[in-house]
Amino acid sequence: MKTNYIYTAKKLVVLLAIGTFGLAGCKKFLDVNENPNNPVTASPTLLLPTVEAAVSQLVGNFYQIYGNIWAEYWTQGTSSSQYRSLEQYNVTNTNFDRAWNVTYRNALQNAQTIINSSTPNNELVRGIAYILKAYTFQLTTDAYGDIPLSEALNANQFGSPHYETQAVVYDSIFHYIDLGIASLNTPNATSPGAQDMIFNGDIPSWTAFANTLKLRAYIRLSQVDPAKAQAGVAALYSSGASFLTQDASMTFTTTGGNENPLYNEMLGLGRTQNVIASGTAVNAFKANSDPRLFKYYDLVAPQDTISYIPQGSYRANSGKKNLSPPSGLVGGNASSGAAALSAVAPVKLISAAESYFLQAEAVARGWGGNAAQLPDLFQTGITTSFAAVGLANAAPAYIAAAPDAKLPGSLQGNIRAIITQKYYAMCGFQGFEAWSEWRRTGYPDFWVPSQASIIGAGRLPLRFMYPNTEVTTNLNYPGTVQIYEPVWWDK
Amino acid sequence: MKKRILSLFLTLSITCAAVAQVRTITGTVTDAQDGLPIPGVTVRVKGVQAGTQTGGDGRYSVNVPAAGTGLDFSSIGYITQSVPLGSATVINIRLVSSARSLGEVVVTANAIRRERRSLGYSAPTVNTEELSQGQQPSVISALTGRVAGVNITNTSNTPGASSRVVLRGGSSISGNNQALIVVDGVPIDNSSVIGGPSSLASVDFGNRGNDINPDDIASVTVLKGPAAAALYGSRASNGALIITTKSGTKGAKKTEITFNSSNSFSSILKLPELQNEYGQGYYGEIAPDGLSATYISDPRENFSWGAPFNGEMQEYGQQIDGVRQSKPYSAAKDNIRNFFDTGFSTDNNLSFSGGSEKTSFYLGLNAVNSNGINPGNKDVYNRYSVRFNGNTEFNNKFYAGISFNYFKINSNQIAGGQSGGSVYNNVLQTPRDIPIDQMKDLNNKYNGYGIVTADGVRRDDLYGFYGAYTMNPYWILENYNNFNDVNRVTGNFNVGYKPTGWLDIKERLGVDSYTDRRRLESPKYEFFPADELGNYTEDDTRTNNGSYEIDQLNVNEIVHDLMITASHKFNEDFDGSLMVGNNIRQRYTNTLATSTNASGGLVVPNYYNLANSNGPVAVITDNISRRRLVGLYADLNLSYKNMLFFEATARNDWSSTLPVQNNSFFYPSVSASFLFSEMLKNTGIGNILDYGKIRTSYAQVGSDTDPYQLQTTFTRGEILGGFGSTTFPFGNVAALMSSSTIGNPNLKPEKTNSFEVGTELGLFKNRLSVDFSYYRNSSRNQILSIPIPTSTGYSFSVVNAGKVQNNGVEISLRGTPIRTSTGLSLELFGTYTRNNSKVVELLPGIDQVGLGGFSGMSIVAAKGKPYGEFYGVTNAKDAQGRTIVDQETGLPVPTESAQYLGSYNPRYIASLGANFKYKNLSMNVLFDTKQGGVFYSRTRDITGFNGTSAETGGERIGVIFPNSVYLDEAGNSVVNTTARYNKQDYYSDLPPGAGIVDASFVKLRSLGISYTFSKAQLQKSPFGELTVGIFGNNLFIWTPKENKYADPEVNSAGAGNAQGFDFTAQPSVRNYGLNLRVSF
Repeated sequence: MKTNYIYTAKKLVVLLAIGTFGLAGCKKFLDVNENPNNPVTASPTLLLPTVEAAVSQLVGNFYQIYGNIWAEYWTQGTSSSQYRSLEQYNVTNTNFDRAWNVTYRNALQNAQTIINSSTPNNELVRGIAYILKAYTFQLTTDAYGDIPLSEALNANQFGSPHYETQAVVYDSIFHYIDLGIASLNTPNATSPGAQDMIFNGDIPSWTAFANTLKLRAYIRLSQVDPAKAQAGVAALYSSGASFLTQDASMTFTTTGGNENPLYNEMLGLGRTQNVIASGTAVNAFKANSDPRLFKYYDLVAPQDTISYIPQGSYRANSGKKNLSPPSGLVGGNASSGAAALSAVAPVKLISAAESYFLQAEAVARGWGGNAAQLPDLFQTGITTSFAAVGLANAAPAYIAAAPDAKLPGSLQGNIRAIITQKYYAMCGFQGFEAWSEWRRTGYPDFWVPSQASIIGAGRLPLRFMYPNTEVTTNLNYPGTVQIYEPVWWDK
Repeated sequence: MKKRILSLFLTLSITCAAVAQVRTITGTVTDAQDGLPIPGVTVRVKGVQAGTQTGGDGRYSVNVPAAGTGLDFSSIGYITQSVPLGSATVINIRLVSSARSLGEVVVTANAIRRERRSLGYSAPTVNTEELSQGQQPSVISALTGRVAGVNITNTSNTPGASSRVVLRGGSSISGNNQALIVVDGVPIDNSSVIGGPSSLASVDFGNRGNDINPDDIASVTVLKGPAAAALYGSRASNGALIITTKSGTKGAKKTEITFNSSNSFSSILKLPELQNEYGQGYYGEIAPDGLSATYISDPRENFSWGAPFNGEMQEYGQQIDGVRQSKPYSAAKDNIRNFFDTGFSTDNNLSFSGGSEKTSFYLGLNAVNSNGINPGNKDVYNRYSVRFNGNTEFNNKFYAGISFNYFKINSNQIAGGQSGGSVYNNVLQTPRDIPIDQMKDLNNKYNGYGIVTADGVRRDDLYGFYGAYTMNPYWILENYNNFNDVNRVTGNFNVGYKPTGWLDIKERLGVDSYTDRRRLESPKYEFFPADELGNYTEDDTRTNNGSYEIDQLNVNEIVHDLMITASHKFNEDFDGSLMVGNNIRQRYTNTLATSTNASGGLVVPNYYNLANSNGPVAVITDNISRRRLVGLYADLNLSYKNMLFFEATARNDWSSTLPVQNNSFFYPSVSASFLFSEMLKNTGIGNILDYGKIRTSYAQVGSDTDPYQLQTTFTRGEILGGFGSTTFPFGNVAALMSSSTIGNPNLKPEKTNSFEVGTELGLFKNRLSVDFSYYRNSSRNQILSIPIPTSTGYSFSVVNAGKVQNNGVEISLRGTPIRTSTGLSLELFGTYTRNNSKVVELLPGIDQVGLGGFSGMSIVAAKGKPYGEFYGVTNAKDAQGRTIVDQETGLPVPTESAQYLGSYNPRYIASLGANFKYKNLSMNVLFDTKQGGVFYSRTRDITGFNGTSAETGGERIGVIFPNSVYLDEAGNSVVNTTARYNKQDYYSDLPPGAGIVDASFVKLRSLGISYTFSKAQLQKSPFGELTVGIFGNNLFIWTPKENKYADPEVNSAGAGNAQGFDFTAQPSVRNYGLNLRVSF
């Protein structure tokens, strides 16, 4: 009766095989959801250029425009209108969406991915990533005050990162710098080489950058927590730290998409010259017969002098022609004539001059080095700034004659001189840092409110506003703070 | 479930054994109206499983077993007739045309033919005759106003322009909301990819669903709810348009050749209303009393904020070679209207159809050649298509069919919005006194660029055009191109086997494959003003690096269906059928968009080749996407006494785009209909009510998502500034960065539930018919890319979130108040649709998701609001709706934050049409309306900014804003009688919300008059049929007073989810012309 069974063992096996094959075939048929367009992993050396370019886009474009306008080097031109709201101090949350995006999504997230990477022999790239993370967090907290920190950059765990106080952010900055320096000291690690677009993989330069950044960060606390600042600077000096003697900058080319970010932005705006010389800075340069004036701004034919308008006076000067734009040297001249120069203008993360002025302040305050070094550091700062714009030979005459090139001797007087000189050195290159130092020290002391201001008499902007994307998506958004409210270290 | 299907099969096979005594009945089926034989009529024997079809001569012969009680005669387009069997062996039948009847056969999902009476859901059908009224170049446009529950938006109404079709409201927050388009059982692609960087600078290259030639179409059935379309699976969750193309007639005596030609003219439907009081310039100083001003007449200006017109001769523009042009200082009233030409389009169709006893074929050839309303030959659209349909039956119970359609489309379209190549943007920004329509001659030195100076030397670096803020639109037309070239094949191959009368096995393979290649050219130039007076400065240099972009879109879609249908008559009253099927589909797309370097542009002007890129070629998109889906489905139909019907469908899909653990999803549907009129027969009501049916259905549809949503990936390093970007490779340095969206490996399928109840009534011998539906849809677990705080390191996260509800009513009425024996008839029809949509929930903490627009005016899906809400800053109003102004400046105060400003979706849609016939003459007319939505009009914004719109006319200096108040210190409204403002200050800086305009309209959608020669008249001619007519579509528009700006149907975002967005979109046109139809 065996044959009466419909299913013999053999047939069952065949059926089973067909079934399994069918199912497996179906599974395989549907297994086409691997993204063929984009990789799911990236090596740290491929992420590093993104971090550096992102930081340069921030410093060289967003922060450059806000910084140079609010530090009163530049002002809105009369025949264009892009930055009128900055002159009016009438900024809104949405103004900062893009910058915040570049900060967290481009710079910090990719730096964090490098730091988290388990790629072997990766310590040098990781060290650079830590240092750039520290740099970016300082930039960000100096701009916005309290910011997402420990819960940031971890989307799977924290969908709405909490904001942490600026004091905590600064502590983290020092911590990240220490981690970075430690990582840089790893022997036999692989150098990123040309993938490092700032120092071409030169580790001593990165160590000097890290130390200078730490000096800058401690000195920033001079008003709010002098004891901590002093201890931090002293520790830095006693460890024999090296400081920058060259610009930490990213350089650009005339190739489309690889130009100086500000110049590239102006191209995107159809070569519109939105920013022009502000009377605030120009008059200060003139008062000191400073030849750098003609390097920071361009003459407009047929004039032989830098032609400016008072800060924020675009309406009163409506129709006024032939106003001086920032120079191609600083990447601020939009015209086709200055294209070759503007396109290759460097973005300076920390300049050599700044390094000397920071050291000068440390010495002047008695927190590091010895007092005798002060005149030399101060003058080296000035000379380095002159050299940076090709005027090295003119520096001695300026130092001899210019009223603002003198160290008066008193602590407050010396600080005033150092910061004011730092202001002159940063024109067009480091507007944001100059604005931050003014917020910390009140120097230079000749700024005037923009004529277009709408935030009330005597007020100047003291911070950026949180971006709208945080307002609308972060459940832990702390609330908008007005731009005339100082940040924590601004006492 | 499986067990039941099996047992049903067993039941079916066991109960089909009885065969008994047989007799033969013959006869002829003719058309009741013209007496001609009707081929292909299904003749079914009642009470048993037997039947046949009529031949080419309308004759049939059927073997009737003893159990047979009667014959049913049914054919598409005719009312089904039943005849009880007596002793007669010859039964001749005259069938009444059912163009309007409710008893007809309709084509539903998977090309299955069903009697309308058995459907548990609304499935209106539009036939070829109605589709061709108005000679619309697009089948989607041709459906406008024909069917309730359908929301069609026609944008510019030119050949090749986008049109959007949404059934019963949008239910998907960010996915597709349009109906699936199915041709002969196979879905076809209806992508709408706008050209240009965004809807702010878009080129409308249309949507692919419009490729199909309306003349090839026999009928369109609209399956509105998911219930109707459950068998198509997820893609039909928005309903489907089931298109049946023409086929030949089996047994036709001869091949019929039909030639159909229409030639039409087009002109702009609606231009903005403009002021005719003030000319070029702006105000200088305001008098101390604030009521008058001095004016500056700046020849460079696009502003029309200058002095009042005085009619005196005035020099204007640049001084070149010592001479300036002059003109009267008065309004050039029709300068905008005259800029545009009359467009011309010709649409020619030649078709051949015929067949033998067992085969049939249809061959259609179509050519559309159109040159639009822009002057010159730059806005052209050419479409050529060939369709071949063939069907054959073999002797061994097999049958096979093929359907093939090839399209070749090439066009050159004009950019809109604020792009450099936007013609309309530059035309609209012309001061009221500038005769822009006279500046066509670009060799005239005052009009052109690269001009010839007095010494006869050509100066390629100089321009003589008056405007320093606008470009000569004639020059733009000449120098910008947006070419499009589409090659497309769609079709299907099917083979079937009918081993016995009750079993049908059918395999069908469908394919849709096309390449869409676009080439966007914008010129490189640098022009300095030629002016010798010093009115123009170096700042007025016009410069552009130029660009050349190639976008290549390849789409390939293959669909397989295997369907096995078994039908069985259980007894006299009860029959049923069961279909089981398998569906496999694959969609493969490949998109490549490349352009010359974004900031570098072109090296050599006028040389459009990527090799001419100044800097590395920019790869904008290089994207491959492949998705697959496997589905199993079953469809069970039961009917009792031909008056009670029940249908259930079940489907399970496996999708490649969902995570393996969630990639299988099941969804069912049930529907029922009850023909209550059958019970009222021979009663008083039955005499009035010929046909009465109630129906209801419930369905669920699952849906997958786009490919590659599960993983987080890295992309090429590119850091976006505000207007520029740092792009890698950077020299030799390559870079990657994490992408903006974090993937989700735990996605689940979306689910849409729908419920529908309705009735169909036929009254007074079908002189009046009513179709009413109420529906409710709810779509949840939507797969959305939602914005997350950027501080997480990402900008978007893919999640299952959100629920959208739609409910509404649809009413169709159709009546024939006049029908006389003299051949006079008047038929009236109308539709009414009301849909309420509501976004019920999004993710916690997320109030809205963007659909489109720009940063100042976004179109969003916002919680608690209808889908498609506008969101932007507008003028603040007090509780009484009065505009709040600043007490000092008199200017309206903007709201502190963005406000919800209304939805683009209309409150209701309605239509009213009439078909009038008298002997050989017929006339048709159709009006349609949408009421209650709003749209954003940049046309309003830009004509306000420039001081040309009508609302900027009248008193300008020191006026009081109408119906305005200011707030006192306590915040109370005080009626404003003192705070005066200058219009220029307000209109040149309007808040985005001021561009929101009531989108209501009434349109004369189509109108046609035609004369059809009678057979007697044509007896001595070679023609079988001859019709001549005149027609028009989109002929007139009536809008609320508030809308002085644009046709609210125009749209800058094509057929996407961002609707009601007139970002200086291409203006819409009216078309009118002559039509000839002749057959041999």
